[in-house]
Amino acid sequence: MTAISTQGLSKYYGTVKALDNLNLEVPENAVFGFLGPNGAGKTTTVKLLTGFAHPTSGLAWVAGEKVGDGNLALQSKIGLLPDVPAFYDWMTGREFLHFVGELHSLPPVEIKKRTEELLELVELKKAGNRRTGGYSRGMRQRLGIAQALINRPKVLFLDEPTSALDPLGHREVLNLVLRLRENTTIFMSSHNLSDIERVCDMVGIIDKGKLITVSTVEALQKKYARSIFELEFMEDAGPFVESLKKIPWLAEPAIVTGNGAPMVRVRAIDIDRARKELPRVITESGLTLTRYELSLPSIEDIFMEIMTNGDKR
Amino acid sequence: MKGFAPLFKKEIREQLKLYRLVIVLGVFLLFGLSSPLTLKYLPDILKMAGDQGMIIQLPTPTAAQSLASYAGDIGQIGALVAVLIAMGCIANELKSGTVVMTLSKPVSRSAFVSTKLIAMSLTFLVSMTIASLVCFAYTVWLIQGSAVLPFVGLNLMMGLFLVFCLAVTMLFSSLYKSSLAAGGIALGVIIVQGIISAIPVVGKYMPGKLLDWGTNLLTGSDKTYWWALGITIVGIGLCVYLSQRFLKNRDL
Repeated sequence: MTAISTQGLSKYYGTVKALDNLNLEVPENAVFGFLGPNGAGKTTTVKLLTGFAHPTSGLAWVAGEKVGDGNLALQSKIGLLPDVPAFYDWMTGREFLHFVGELHSLPPVEIKKRTEELLELVELKKAGNRRTGGYSRGMRQRLGIAQALINRPKVLFLDEPTSALDPLGHREVLNLVLRLRENTTIFMSSHNLSDIERVCDMVGIIDKGKLITVSTVEALQKKYARSIFELEFMEDAGPFVESLKKIPWLAEPAIVTGNGAPMVRVRAIDIDRARKELPRVITESGLTLTRYELSLPSIEDIFMEIMTNGDKR
Repeated sequence: MKGFAPLFKKEIREQLKLYRLVIVLGVFLLFGLSSPLTLKYLPDILKMAGDQGMIIQLPTPTAAQSLASYAGDIGQIGALVAVLIAMGCIANELKSGTVVMTLSKPVSRSAFVSTKLIAMSLTFLVSMTIASLVCFAYTVWLIQGSAVLPFVGLNLMMGLFLVFCLAVTMLFSSLYKSSLAAGGIALGVIIVQGIISAIPVVGKYMPGKLLDWGTNLLTGSDKTYWWALGITIVGIGLCVYLSQRFLKNRDL
């Protein structure tokens, strides 16, 4: 089943293409990371998918509901954390959650229960009776997440959810996302690459309003695998590196010193052959192997490559 | 009108929490108290302030004069207060982003807009009723002789005119993110219709004529302005409709 689907979704502001012909399918219960630099069209996409912006052309469906035309059924199935969550300053955090529960027409008992549950979840129980006007940016962010969850949404939109959080709050929000993925589809826009890598199982990369690539994180890492082997030995690997230079399916062997112990890095010209034969070559060298790794690129590496060269692979 | 009840409750609480009711009531009470007082004691004040040789002859104040003076103040200052109270009602929410937080829930734009107007109107009507009761009681006590029904009629006309001022201001508040821009344009519209209402032939269609009609009730004149009444009611409805349309059509 598809939780989010778009067909040729576009948004132009005059001649500026904020979003250009977006065709996207996000399956149910996926955590979809929407990556892109500032001004790439991430927030515009979230606004279009939640009905807060009108598309220039194209169609979108979220949680089985067509987006647009004031479809209120859509709003009862989604939760939204905007990029800058705003509250009525005169309300307390607890009052705001209660108000949001009423807007969702939840029964009073359920509102009370959910309010307390969510305050606990986002660790605002103690500050629940304080006016939101006095909340810090991080507290506002956490209350924003709580209000988006009150109706147990089928699809949750998080626009830069960790942008204002300290490292602890940052980690808590990501853990929360991981817990929610069991019952909810999460569409998370961010320019924080490590966040996406940690919690998302699907990634879309957007730049200048155009979706460049969309894939699972694993497939993307495989696609952009750099064919670099990293090896660590207990003994001096100098002579071994010299022997590697003579092998035609390997290139650029070298001893590099990173943060830890010195290691051998070598690029495979023929990755399949290297995978098969390199372990034999190591065994024949007589060295004691302590680490053997075909290094996978991080989402950051992939993102940087796509931003620089486009999705050419 | 999905979401009407919680939104209305929130708007009423906002009127109280942000002291809007207290402010409007305070301003209206000031005029309710000062109109009969000024009229009653103006001759004495002038006598004390003037030269010994100068004689200023003032007619004996009447209850109708006191109530009409109060109505004139409310018509002008009340309209200004209406603009000040309503100019940020949607504009401030557009600017801060609370409109997105609220409308991302299953609530209709028409409920969002209409609850604002109803809550603000209640603030004004409650304040005006209390101030009018005080003014009436003071007038009867200090000046004597007053008819209840014409004064009730005057209040209904004033109330409707003030609701019109609120609705016009809310309309511009839904168009602009700047509450100052919304307030400025709304005030301009109210002033212009006030000027037009003084022009023969077209003046009778302007909502401002309701204040004249109310004063006529006090003085016993039977001149009516049914067109102005109808246009005001239609205008209020149109402002609500257009406000929610503007909210629906704009990107938030």
